[in-house]
Amino acid sequence: MTMGMETVDPLLQVAAVSHSFGGLHVLRAVDFGVPAGSLTGLIGPNGAGKSTLFNIISGFLRPQRGTVRFEGRDITRDPVQTRTRAGLVRTFQTPKVFGKLSVRENLMIGCYRHLASGVVGNMLHSRRSRLELELMHVQAAEAGERFGLSEVMERPAAQVPAGMQRLVELARGYVSRPRLLMLDEPSSGLNTKEIGQLRELLQRLNREGITILLVSHDMQLVDVASRVHVLCFGSIIASGAMAQIKQDERVRQAYLGV
Amino acid sequence: MSPSLLLQSVLSGLTNGFVYGLIGLGLASIFRGTRIINAMQGDFALIGGITAALLLERFGWPMAPAFAAAVVVGGIAGWLMEVLLIRPLRRRGGSEDSYLLLTLGVAFAVSALVLYAVGRDSHLLPGLGGEGIVVVGDAAIRTHALWLIAISLATMGALRVFFAKTALGLSMMAAALDAEGALTTGIDVPLMRTLTFVLGGLVGGLAGVLVGPLVTVYFDMGLLLTLKGFAAAILGGLANPMGAIVGGVTLGLLESLAIVTVSSGYKDVIAMAILIVIMIAMPNGLLGRRLRKGG
Amino acid sequence: MSPLRRALVWGIPFLVWATLPFVATRHIVDLLVFAGLYTIAGLGVAFLLGQCGIVSLAQSVFYGIGAYCTAWFCAHKGLPSPVGVAAGIALSTGIAALVGWPILRLSGHFLALATLALGIIGQVLFLEWDWLTGGTLGIGGIPRIAPFGFAFDTPLRFYFLVWPIALLLLVLHHNLLHSRSGLALRAMRDSPEAAAALGVDIHKLKVQMFMLSAALGSTAGSLFAHYVTFVSVDSFAIDRAISFLLLAVLGGVYTVWGPVLGALFITVLPQWLSRLGDIHAFVFAAALIAAVILLPEGFGGAIRNWWRTRAAK
Repeated sequence: MTMGMETVDPLLQVAAVSHSFGGLHVLRAVDFGVPAGSLTGLIGPNGAGKSTLFNIISGFLRPQRGTVRFEGRDITRDPVQTRTRAGLVRTFQTPKVFGKLSVRENLMIGCYRHLASGVVGNMLHSRRSRLELELMHVQAAEAGERFGLSEVMERPAAQVPAGMQRLVELARGYVSRPRLLMLDEPSSGLNTKEIGQLRELLQRLNREGITILLVSHDMQLVDVASRVHVLCFGSIIASGAMAQIKQDERVRQAYLGV
Repeated sequence: MSPSLLLQSVLSGLTNGFVYGLIGLGLASIFRGTRIINAMQGDFALIGGITAALLLERFGWPMAPAFAAAVVVGGIAGWLMEVLLIRPLRRRGGSEDSYLLLTLGVAFAVSALVLYAVGRDSHLLPGLGGEGIVVVGDAAIRTHALWLIAISLATMGALRVFFAKTALGLSMMAAALDAEGALTTGIDVPLMRTLTFVLGGLVGGLAGVLVGPLVTVYFDMGLLLTLKGFAAAILGGLANPMGAIVGGVTLGLLESLAIVTVSSGYKDVIAMAILIVIMIAMPNGLLGRRLRKGG
Repeated sequence: MSPLRRALVWGIPFLVWATLPFVATRHIVDLLVFAGLYTIAGLGVAFLLGQCGIVSLAQSVFYGIGAYCTAWFCAHKGLPSPVGVAAGIALSTGIAALVGWPILRLSGHFLALATLALGIIGQVLFLEWDWLTGGTLGIGGIPRIAPFGFAFDTPLRFYFLVWPIALLLLVLHHNLLHSRSGLALRAMRDSPEAAAALGVDIHKLKVQMFMLSAALGSTAGSLFAHYVTFVSVDSFAIDRAISFLLLAVLGGVYTVWGPVLGALFITVLPQWLSRLGDIHAFVFAAALIAAVILLPEGFGGAIRNWWRTRAAK
């Protein structure tokens, strides 16, 4: 679902973001936007700066120059949890599940961002606290089924196979009802069949209305995106539909020539 | 405040500062070698001081052998601690908290043991150069204090040479920086770790022997000394043990100034507050390189 | 578990608890009262360590604040006991928030040593500010807790006051652990980055936990003041903080009722060792060392694990 040339502000807007480590310029004046409701891809060869950009958008790094706007608000200096509470949810390249917690508890935590019972209320088992706990159980169970995790719900997340851990992380992100779901190299470690399943999953989620930003170096996975930006040596060298991108001379050079 | 009072306080601040610096040196060395914060570094000083006191008072040893023996006992204590306590914890997979709890426990244990064995009395050690003092302008400083400063500087220099130029020192550094790599080049990494603690024990024992003549040795002195040494180490930058001396002197001077401007009962409060402020504001110290946040 | 079994598992300990003070000597009951007080203070240290990974040696300060607030408002001003308790809690949580905000950004070692530094600062200030605390001379004449004329003035009576309060606090703590906050705490311990990425404000949560810990210490202190009716600085020195930490580690920081075991251990043990003189400090320290190396989950954790392996068979 592509928006036409934006008359509406994009959900996420990255503007003139630059960052360097030591003397190394990793990002140079990066500009791009993610329209609401889209499945957008950000690709590029290894070393292009994707991780740095990802960390800047999600709040794990402050850019030296430039801004990040989410739903019209400037979030460039916001801490990670503030962005999450605003609806920007990310996953990690190596799935960061809560190993000692069960899969069920991992999913329950996904609800955290949109619940509000406080410490005192929780101690006193206030009505709100109990309702929220119930809600967390229900949503976790539902997500568990959707993502095919019903069998492993009670297992500690660390004891679940790696491919499934990725599903746990994804399901956990889904439970948080994100306004923007950012996925960091979600296909690393997956075989072709699993990548295919992941593609379908992402399409389904997007059809439900979840805006997705997919960052990957894997062309096969990013194929599912309606609009793709190509990052190379810290700059966006091409933007457009996947088919266009594949024909782009500069992109081919970037991937083959590097 | 009169200039002579100021001068006097600078002199005593300097003296204390070098003691804190020595403790900090031991702390930083152990941290660099094993990534463990040794909460009982000050108690190594207690061990050294008490050993010297006992040898002098109860067994009538002459000064030089007693002091030397005390330092060695400090080293032995370090050795025992590493082999008997740290290693088993490491084998069982200790977390950062548990190492800290362990060294804290040993600190309390040593303090309690001294209390039980020797009582609450303070012991004054004889100073190097006896009771002699050197007059500086309108102020005076004990000869022993000058010796203390000289020995501290010499220790710092010796350690510097040791780590940079000797095979053993370089091996210890290598083991600390990259344990696996060091193993492949034949370095006995566990032994290096043990030696790091021995070194910490020696330096701590030395500090005890040097500070004993100035402030007396008593069962409770370890914890406060550890904290001040820790402040010195952080000020100097944990990555650079030599910086601990500089950090210690800074702390000593600040503490002395505080005593003459505020009352002396608050001395420790001020030192502790300085420690907290340093940790928050300057975790990499005055001299340290840019590291990620401390601990 | 069948209703009968449940009744036995809960009923028997309750009966033992309820009848014990009537059969034991006054001295033992006195010790058990202290065990109750230490359970409350120790709970504060235990959950901070177990849930947040924070080693706190500052609990003696809050214990003292609670005691001195009670002394001040109840002995000097003649106000009823809840005022003292509330004032202590307010002051303690306030200070915990103020001091905690900057220092809880520190990690691991730095934080532990910062709390130790706080403990020492508290100890010295209690001593130096004798216009407030009475210094070594202390404050006496603290009235008993006496609602509607029934005074809790004997160890026996106080036993039946302190333990229900301790139990209540343990229940509240249990509630906390099995709630959204409890889940957030465990997640935070497990993977702070992922927790932040799910909206958990880690720093704020740590400060809240520190405040909670302080409130517990203060409550214990206020009760302590009402029990002994005379407080002086000796009770609020670093060795008190060490005792609290010790009982937390020994009892086990990963079970809710661990502090009870730890508190019983440190109040009862000196009894047995009193014949040997001043050795109990050393034995405590040795116990701490042994617990850290051999029983990292404390008595409570060991018992719980044993129970689980039994249940699995």
